[in-house]
This record gives sequence, C-alpha cells and structure tokens, in this order.
Amino acid sequence: MAHTNKPEALRLGITIFIFLAVLTVLEFVIAIALNALPLLVVVALTKAGLVVYYYMHIYKLQDESGGEHDSYAYKTGTNRLGLWLFLLSDSFVFGGLLVSRFNLLGFTRPHLNQILGLGVTVVLLVSSFFMNRAESMMAHGDKKGFLTSTLITIILGAGFVIGVVGVEWQLAAAEGIRASSLVDGGIFYMMTGMHAFHVLTGVIFLWIVYRNARKDVYSAERHWGVEAATVYWHFVDVVWIFFYPALYLIGSVI
Amino acid sequence: MKKFYNSALARGLLWQLIGTLIGAGLVTGIRALMGLEALGRFGFSEPAWVFGGLVGTLAFLGGNGVVSDWIKWARGIPTHDHHEDPPGWEKFINVSLDHKVIGIQYTLTAIIVLGLGGTFAMIFRTELAASGLQFLNGTQYNTMMGLHGIVMIVAILLGIAGMMNYLVPLLIGAADMAFPRLNAFSFWITIPAAIWLVSSLFLGGFDTGWTGYPPLSARAPVGMQMFFLAVFVVGWSSILGGLNLLATVARMRARGMTSFRLPIFVWASIATSLISLTATQLIGLSFQMVMFQRLFGMGFFDPAKGGNPVLFQHLFWFYSHPAVYVFILPGLGIISELLPVFVRKPLFGYRWVAMSSLGIALVGFLVWAHHMFTSGMNEYLRVPFMYSTLLVAVPTGVKFFSWVATLWGGKITVPTPMLFVLGGIVVFLMGGLTGPPNATVSTDLHLHDTYFIVGHFHDTMFGGFIFPFFAAIYYWFPKATGRRMNEFLGKVHFWLMTPAFLVMTFGMMRIGLLGMRRRISDYDAALGFDTTHLVLTVAGFLIFTSVLVFVYNLFRSMKKGEAAAGNLWNSRSPEWLVPSPMPAHNYDRPFEVVGEPYDYGLPGSKFVEFAKDK
Repeated sequence: MAHTNKPEALRLGITIFIFLAVLTVLEFVIAIALNALPLLVVVALTKAGLVVYYYMHIYKLQDESGGEHDSYAYKTGTNRLGLWLFLLSDSFVFGGLLVSRFNLLGFTRPHLNQILGLGVTVVLLVSSFFMNRAESMMAHGDKKGFLTSTLITIILGAGFVIGVVGVEWQLAAAEGIRASSLVDGGIFYMMTGMHAFHVLTGVIFLWIVYRNARKDVYSAERHWGVEAATVYWHFVDVVWIFFYPALYLIGSVI
Repeated sequence: MKKFYNSALARGLLWQLIGTLIGAGLVTGIRALMGLEALGRFGFSEPAWVFGGLVGTLAFLGGNGVVSDWIKWARGIPTHDHHEDPPGWEKFINVSLDHKVIGIQYTLTAIIVLGLGGTFAMIFRTELAASGLQFLNGTQYNTMMGLHGIVMIVAILLGIAGMMNYLVPLLIGAADMAFPRLNAFSFWITIPAAIWLVSSLFLGGFDTGWTGYPPLSARAPVGMQMFFLAVFVVGWSSILGGLNLLATVARMRARGMTSFRLPIFVWASIATSLISLTATQLIGLSFQMVMFQRLFGMGFFDPAKGGNPVLFQHLFWFYSHPAVYVFILPGLGIISELLPVFVRKPLFGYRWVAMSSLGIALVGFLVWAHHMFTSGMNEYLRVPFMYSTLLVAVPTGVKFFSWVATLWGGKITVPTPMLFVLGGIVVFLMGGLTGPPNATVSTDLHLHDTYFIVGHFHDTMFGGFIFPFFAAIYYWFPKATGRRMNEFLGKVHFWLMTPAFLVMTFGMMRIGLLGMRRRISDYDAALGFDTTHLVLTVAGFLIFTSVLVFVYNLFRSMKKGEAAAGNLWNSRSPEWLVPSPMPAHNYDRPFEVVGEPYDYGLPGSKFVEFAKDK
C-alpha cells in the first residue's frame, strides 16, 4: 500500500466495504426469497475473494524484496509466507467442520435467530472495515488514527464474541438446541465455538498490537506485527463468510 | 546430575506436573461446587484429566522457557537474533535455537521413543508366541498394541523431523531455519505429548488400537482421552515443523540453488511438509470431536443422536493415509540422496525423481477411503478410490526405476550406510509389491484386517523410514560429531536386522492370507499358526537386539569413534566440503551453486563454489 497515498487507501477500503455490505444483504435476500444454493456459494466466494485480495493483500506474497537475507524487508517477506502457510493449514480445520456439517445435516439447518445471526455478521464485517482502516493509517504513519480504528475493531470483535457465545448460545439452548441434544446442536456449538475461539485469539492479538503501538514499537516502514494481526483478523472474517450461510442460510429448517 | 536439575527439560517437567494438578484441581473444584461427581476411577474425573493435561502441556512450554522470546515480543521488548549454545552435552536438554542441536534433539528423542514402541511390541509379541492367553488380559493387550502403533508413529514423526531439521538448512546453505523459535517450540511440545501418551497406560489404557474409531473410542477408559490429547499436541509439532520447513526452503536458499538444483532430500521434505502442514489438521479435528463427544455429549459420531461414525473414518484417514507418505517420503529421499555417492554415478532421472515426491504427496490426498472398503461407506466410492490408490504406484515406480538405473554399471562400494540404503530398497520393494492387492477392492475384502496388512505395512515403514533413518545416522554421524560409527557393529546391526525382518513380515503375510486376524490377543490353536507365531516372536526379538547393538554403537562412537573430520564419503554436497563437526553458524563463507547436485564421476563438474572471502 506504500505506493498509494493515504486518502486513496482509505477510499479503497470504504469502496470494498460497501461492496461487501451489499453482497451480505443480497445473500440474505437470496436465502429468504429463493433459497438458491449455487447463488449463495457464488456470493460467499465473491465476498471471500474481495477480502483476501483487498483487505488481506495476498498479492504481497509476490513482493520481490531482494537484498540481504537479514534485512527487515526480507524477513517480513519470510514472516508473511509463514503466516499465509499457517492460514492455509488453519483453513483445513474449518473446511473439515464444513464437510462434517454437510455430511451430518445435509440441506437442513438448526432453527436459529435470523436477526441475531445477521447482526453479528454485520458487526464482524464492520470490524473488518475498521481493521483495514487501522492498517492503512499505520502504513501512512498516522499513529493516532491507527489507535482509534484498532480500538473500535477490538470493541466490535469482543461484541461479536459476546453476541455469539453470550446471547446466541443462550437463545439456542432455550430453543432446545443443546450440545448434548441431537447432532445439529453439536455441529452448531462446534462451528461457532471454534470460530469464536479464533475471534478471541484475534482480539488478544489486536490488544497486544494496540499496546505496543502506544509504546511506539511500530513505524510506517516497520510494522510487521500490525500486518500480521490484520491479516489474521480478516482471515477470521473470511471463515465467517462461509460459516454464516452454512449455519443460517443454506437448506431448510429442521 | 546438577546439570539435569537445572535444565529446561527438568523445569518443563516440573511445571507440567504443577500445571496438570492446578488444571485438574480447578475442574474438580468446579464440579464439586456444581454438585457433579468430582472424583473418578483414576483419582480425577475425566474432564479434570483432560483439562489438567491441556494446562500441564502449556505449563511445560511456559516453564521451560521456549516461549519466553515471544512473550517479550508481545510486551514490545526486542530480542537478540543470534544465540550461542554452551559447549558440552547439556545444550541438548536445554532450549536451543540452533537447527543442528534441535535436529539432534529430535533424533535422540526419536530413538528413545522407538525403543519404547519396540518394547511394547516385544511384550505383546511374546503374548502371541503361543495360542491361549499367557500373561496379558484383553485390555492390556489392546493397550500395548495401540500404544505400539501410535508410539511408533510419533517416533517416525520425530525421526523425520530430526533428519529434516539437521539436513535441510545444511543442504540449501542456510544459516538456520526460517523461524528458529518456532522450530524449538515444535520440538519441545512433543515432550509433554509423549508423556501423556504413556500416561494412558496408567489411566485404564484404551482398546481401540491407534486408530481410535468411535463408537468404541467414545466409551473406552480415560486413557483414550490422554491418547487423543497427546496426538493432538504432537500434531501441532508436525504442522508447525512443516510450515517452518516450507518457509525455509522458499526463502533461505543459497545463490544459484534453483528448483531443479535442489537436493532430492529437500524435494522430499517439501512434499512431506505440504502434507503435514495441511492434512494434520483433520486428525486433530476428528480426535477433538471424539473428545468433545465424550466430554459434552455432542452427537457427531453417535447414530442415536443423528451422528455418523463413518464420518470419523473419513476425517481420520484424510490425514492418516497421507501421513504414511509423510513417514516414507523423507526416507526415500535419503535413498536417492546417498545412492549416487556410493555408486559414483549421477542420479538417474533427477527431475522425474524430484517430481515423483510431489506426485506421491498430491495423489496421496485422494486415496484415503481405501482404508474403508469394508466400513459400510457408500459403495460407489470404492472404485474411484481403488484407481486413485493404484495410481500411487506410478510415481513410486519412477523412484524404483531411478534407483535401479543409478545402480546399473556403477562403481559400488558398500559401507554401512550403503548397506542400509540397499536393504531399504529391497524391503520397500516388498512393501510396494504387496500394496496393490490391498488397494484392489475384490482382494482387499479378503485381506482387510488380517496380518497380511500388518506385514505389508511393516515392510513399507521399515523400507521407507527405518532403513533410511539408520542409513542417514551412519552417514551423517561424522558430520555431527567429527567421529565415525564402528563399521563392524554397523554390519552386525544390519545382518541381524534384515533377515529377521524379512522372515517376520513374510511370516505375517503368510498367516494373514490363511486368515489370521490382526488386533486380536489370541487365536485358535486349530488354525495351526503356533509355529509361525513363535518364529515371528523370535524374529522380533532379533530385530530388537540389533537395535540395541545400534544404540551401543551410537553412544560408544560419540566418545571412542575413529576421528573423521574431512569428506569421509567423498561427497559433492556442500556440508561435506567444510570440516566436521559443523561450525555453529554453518557456513563461514557462503557458497554459490554452479552445477548439478549429483554429477558424480563426470570429470570437471562442480556443484557448489565457496566465496573467496566473507
């Protein structure tokens, strides 16, 4: 992002956010009105593609940072590759959960609170927007802007965890969807639990980065920690892009 | 002894104990307050053991200091990049960031764990020597057999990690792995896991074998949970090790080391690491799901709640079949690596061999359900999985043709490492040829769950891992220590082990074909297997003895071995062009790759050229 100027970077973040928001609404409407599985898959893949390219900057993996092997730029390239390999690995867990969900439940889904589901999805999406904004701020040396946006992301992330674990789990249990009841309960708690665990680690990661930024550990040129936290946060968002339709939208209620 | 008490290992173990007690105590207290049953058959209740095990594992890692640099980073404190280890043996029981030390730590741990797994095998092999139950009961037998399987798998994972850690940075001219702290973490996390694995023996054992299939694993004793926990933790070691290796090869190569000038062992390590990086997550997930089914009553694999036990087998084998390629690919890489050195000829078909490792890894992802032909899975899945499995023979065959063509017309010398390379080729050939009958649905329906499979499997594991592992140790021991291992004892090791091993696996296949079931503690005397089983037991003990000879040789040679500081095997590989033992930061002068790696015997050809000065 270093080659663009700050307003451009922020504007791109907003544009992508608007696309994602529109697609999310579209997804919800498709599910309610048409229940068309191929369309939902296309929308989810499009959303994930936008996040992976514009928010996670996957193209940075190709950056040719020549020079000495112990320079900061070269080491950051190595770290970046390591992080993406980790995400590749982690995505197999989530892929396995999706496979289990469709193997066990097929095209049925548990009866969940739709408004709440859409609500937490929006919260996570907005948090992703602020995360992207925070990274752009840091890349252009705006420490104050970075701190504000990161703090908003942390609050939204915590809000998501509370929304899922604190509210949604209680509501589902009250509906009779318990971990130990039929397998749809098991799948619901396993998928949301595994994802919430990742959101929680992301919040902790962001909190560490936030504290370090206040201590001036990072600069516009040297902020690998910020980039790592950002990419991880967006990855957790990408997972939800697939988990949300799989749990709330696809198939008919049991 | 004082050095031991002050070591990271001892600190970690102490903290593991404390952490386990705290974690288990916490759960026990909460259960008591909630009015649930607080204590169980083995002191703590099952949830307390599981949570205690998790906390104990984390406490080990916190206590021994392997994560202390990361904690400093999180607090915004920079750390030094270059560490010097103290001279002497105590660096091996302390946290070191040097890939060579970590490689040796892995290898030594692998040998210890290998001995443990072998001991379990000897115990239940003795029980099988005659029909009727002699001295083990059913659960003890099952636990021994299950532990033999999983302990050996852990030993193999440690062994390949040892080889890859020690060798890959040297072969590609890197100063260390890409992430040295992650590397140390990957090693140390296996120690608490190994302890949990053995602890299952004292917590009621488990009767499922190493595969842990539900529904049986959903109601086995608490030992089952410790088994799951241990495998889950070892899995992380495997995943992070694979990640580290891929990043190292991608980013740390010497100048001029293009894709098709990489040593074959590095190609094999890439293929292995791709599998362990990704597929390992699914065995972790499947075991976690059974753990949760037991702890929280989730119904994943419980048909009464709408679950599906066959789903477990799919998730499990999605890792556990590619895992056997994780086990053998580095070993096959070692064979291709050493063969040209002792034949003094270029490796035949270098590019094909390099690609065959990747080919095996990729096809390996598509074959898992051949373990499930009799499981009651959808029948239409059988034939595609049969063909994809048979396809594995193609890249594997490429390797064999390359080895044979390399041997052809060479000036062959046969010191101990070469002996093990040749033994590995023969044994792996046996394993390879007995594979297709298991892959073919029609014959597998007869062979499934018999000793034929056991014989086939041991052939592939010995040919693909054990023989090359020993070859690698005999070959690179002088590099690590500056001394060579005793040739005579090495040959005794080989000539004791190889015939005994072949007798053992052929015997297994024979009774397997005649209907001897695997995984059972007893058999009917009327089947007439008593004599064969006795022979198998004797052969097993001969193999065990040969490994004892090896261990004696290893430790004796560390102190009294013949000095060997130079290019002992007359190799072209860069690590042999500098003095042994290897300097702390590997190559004092960087090298550039200027030719092909295996052009042995071609006059004037050069692989690497060292810089004139720093």
